[in-house]
Amino acid sequence: MKSIYGLYSDPDTAQRAVDRLRTAGATDPAIVVISSEPFEEYEFSHRDHATWMYWIAGGGGAAGCAFAYWLTSVTQQLWPLNTAGMPIVSGIPNAIVIFEMTMLGAILATVITLLVSARLPTRQEHIYDTEISDGYILVGVENPEDANVDAYHAALESAGQGRVKRTA
Amino acid sequence: MGVNRTLNKPISDDLTRPLFHTSVWFYGLVLALGTVVACGAAAWGTQIWYGIGLTGKRWPVFWGFYLTNFVFWIGISHAGTLISAILRLVNATWRRPVTRCAEVITVFALMIGAMFPLIHLGRPWLFFWLVPYPSAREIWPNFRSPLVWDFFAINTYLTGSLLFLFLPMIPDLALVRDRATGFRRRIYGALALGWRGTTRQWHRLESAMQIMAIAILPVAISVHTIVSFDFSMAPVPMWHSTIFGPYFVAGAIFSGIAALIIAMAVLRRTLNLEAYLYPVHFENLGKLLLLMSLLWVYFVFAERLTVWYGNDPSEMAVFWATQRGTYAPLFWTMVTCNFLIPFPILALKKTRTIAGTVIASFAVLIGMWLERFLIIVPSLGHKSLPYSWGTYRPQPVEIVIMASTFAAMALLYTLFSKFVPIISIWELKVGDHPRPKLTPQELDEAAGLWRTQP
Amino acid sequence: MPHRWGMAVDLDRCTGCEACVVACHAENNIPIVGPDQASRGRAMHWIRVERYWEGDFPEVSVKFRPVLCQQCDAAPCEAVCPTYASHHTDEGLNAQVYNRCIGTRYCGNACAYNVRFFNFFNPQWEKPLHLQLNPDVSVREVGVMEKCTFCVQRIKAAKSAARAEGHGLVDGVLQTACAQACPTTALVFGDLNDPESRVARLSRSPRGSKLLEDLGSEPKVTYLARQPWA
Repeated sequence: MKSIYGLYSDPDTAQRAVDRLRTAGATDPAIVVISSEPFEEYEFSHRDHATWMYWIAGGGGAAGCAFAYWLTSVTQQLWPLNTAGMPIVSGIPNAIVIFEMTMLGAILATVITLLVSARLPTRQEHIYDTEISDGYILVGVENPEDANVDAYHAALESAGQGRVKRTA
Repeated sequence: MGVNRTLNKPISDDLTRPLFHTSVWFYGLVLALGTVVACGAAAWGTQIWYGIGLTGKRWPVFWGFYLTNFVFWIGISHAGTLISAILRLVNATWRRPVTRCAEVITVFALMIGAMFPLIHLGRPWLFFWLVPYPSAREIWPNFRSPLVWDFFAINTYLTGSLLFLFLPMIPDLALVRDRATGFRRRIYGALALGWRGTTRQWHRLESAMQIMAIAILPVAISVHTIVSFDFSMAPVPMWHSTIFGPYFVAGAIFSGIAALIIAMAVLRRTLNLEAYLYPVHFENLGKLLLLMSLLWVYFVFAERLTVWYGNDPSEMAVFWATQRGTYAPLFWTMVTCNFLIPFPILALKKTRTIAGTVIASFAVLIGMWLERFLIIVPSLGHKSLPYSWGTYRPQPVEIVIMASTFAAMALLYTLFSKFVPIISIWELKVGDHPRPKLTPQELDEAAGLWRTQP
Repeated sequence: MPHRWGMAVDLDRCTGCEACVVACHAENNIPIVGPDQASRGRAMHWIRVERYWEGDFPEVSVKFRPVLCQQCDAAPCEAVCPTYASHHTDEGLNAQVYNRCIGTRYCGNACAYNVRFFNFFNPQWEKPLHLQLNPDVSVREVGVMEKCTFCVQRIKAAKSAARAEGHGLVDGVLQTACAQACPTTALVFGDLNDPESRVARLSRSPRGSKLLEDLGSEPKVTYLARQPWA
């Protein structure tokens, strides 16, 4: 897997590298920034803003709610047994179970969405360098076209203190 | 000027050192704790073989130590949620080194607490009848029963807490993966799910954590409320009280914070984390503990005053049994441990040190355990018909099993801190961020690279 | 008209002889736990005679009260059982299904009358006492809750016999073991839905009251108050 990237020691330099790459012709989806901690204050983190996770969590909650409503009312009627004179389908006790399953649905939906959208777990080879775990920030392009590689190299080198690497 | 702020290698080194270096103390501790846990398992096996008769339970005190421990451990599990979720939602930065310690307590306390409903069953091999599954007999659990609510609530909370613990662990597992070699690298690699740390992944993770924090809070509150419903739904004097829901939740958070302080203090000493867990963390938690102690006093006072004013004969029998009768020594010990000892220690800044908060926390844990016991046993022993009153004496089986659960908690915690960094490395680093420079001009100026063209 | 089984206990006639307790043990295969376990509070008497002393010597009196399962219509024990082992039948009985019981003992706690009992150990009958067990009633294993069933096995047998013979149940023929053994007929069992039955008439007596009625459990056993000595 071909890639070209630079390793920088602070986020300011990384931000500059991203800007220089853009000037050199790389599109935003092609630019990869990898770090060992999130940098929410920097512009380069904001490219993938998506708030639809909240909606999916809500959807999961609704699914849990519906399932629990069905479970409690249907099973209570399958073999109706009188306990303490309470109604066969008891609303308030059922509401407790429905609440729990709603929250479980929301939680599971969130986690599944996270795994799917963050592309975890992954078997494919992607751009990475273990030096990221030592704190370096990787800014690069995966599978760059041969024509642009030199321009990218120049852009990454000019960003500031850092090392530029290529993989074949 | 190009300061290496993010080269936090020393932090990563410190916090992953326990994973790569094992001392002989570790093996000794695991062996000792493992032995106690094995004794508990043997005791449980004996109890399954002979019957619940080996315990001290009797007519009419059908619940004793096991339910006390159940409520106690589920209560302790509220530590993680408070610290992690609430502080995360209000952006309190001092939570960062503390979150994973707290979340781990939650998960293990829940697992241990959830064992007790199994241990106390008369026919534990049939516990799965609490699970709503379609069977040929077409009979399902009774959704009107608080124990079935317990099943759903605790499972939801356990699932939620496990995920709440695991999700922020992924980046740290990736970090350990990058530093490990051989077999360990593969295991951590599998656990890290191929995490790389792209901006997209970070963004998704942070959104997910935000949603989880919002979702896990009502679940946590509902869990201990439902546990309190185990008692308040029965027409037993001094159980059938509307205050039980909030009372139990407040008590849970109270005991949870105490457990967290003790865990943090132990970790700080054994793993040499003095550079990460500062006295100010203990001070802040100590202030919270003080607040919860006052809240606990408020609830107990409100409940007992109401009972005393009501003068209902059944309730007064229980009231006097705890205040002046057989259970008075335990009751006053509880008040001392929950209020008289912690209050002065935590109220004065001079004594609100690490040692001070740890002493207060131990007192609180003893006091809260006694509170659970005093809720369950005196009421059951003094129900409405005086001819059937009875007292309860715990038997060796119950004491051994209870001791083994404490050992199990310590053991699980020790093993966890051996295999996973106990302080969330990436969250710690995020707290160190400088003010960002976003415009190209700012960036170039800062680097001394001012250019006239981009 | 479906049956509604109930009982009346005349406290004026009860002498505290405890024949009802013995009869119940014999009829329902209730385990004899032994003196050691009984001292630990594990005795199982589905019906017990409660005894309260009043006053000081020489103005001392004792009050007897047989207490058994009240078969409450709003039984707190029924709602809290997680496996439906405790539920209400159409004939007003609080049924205990031994096979469904997993032994949480929540019902025992919820019962305000303390009439529920738990098998702390496997019951044992020394030979040849095992030969006197009632074949119509099961023997419960360890970990299961049990309580008075209003001798449901006798109710079922009487109903089957009456149906086979083609007539309805006659009041007074079907009796629980305790009512049958009571020498003073202090315990009266019958169908509350039959307005002419003895138990229905006694339930309407001005001397009648229910035990712990204010708890809202709607018990079906009427206690007839003691008359003052003339």
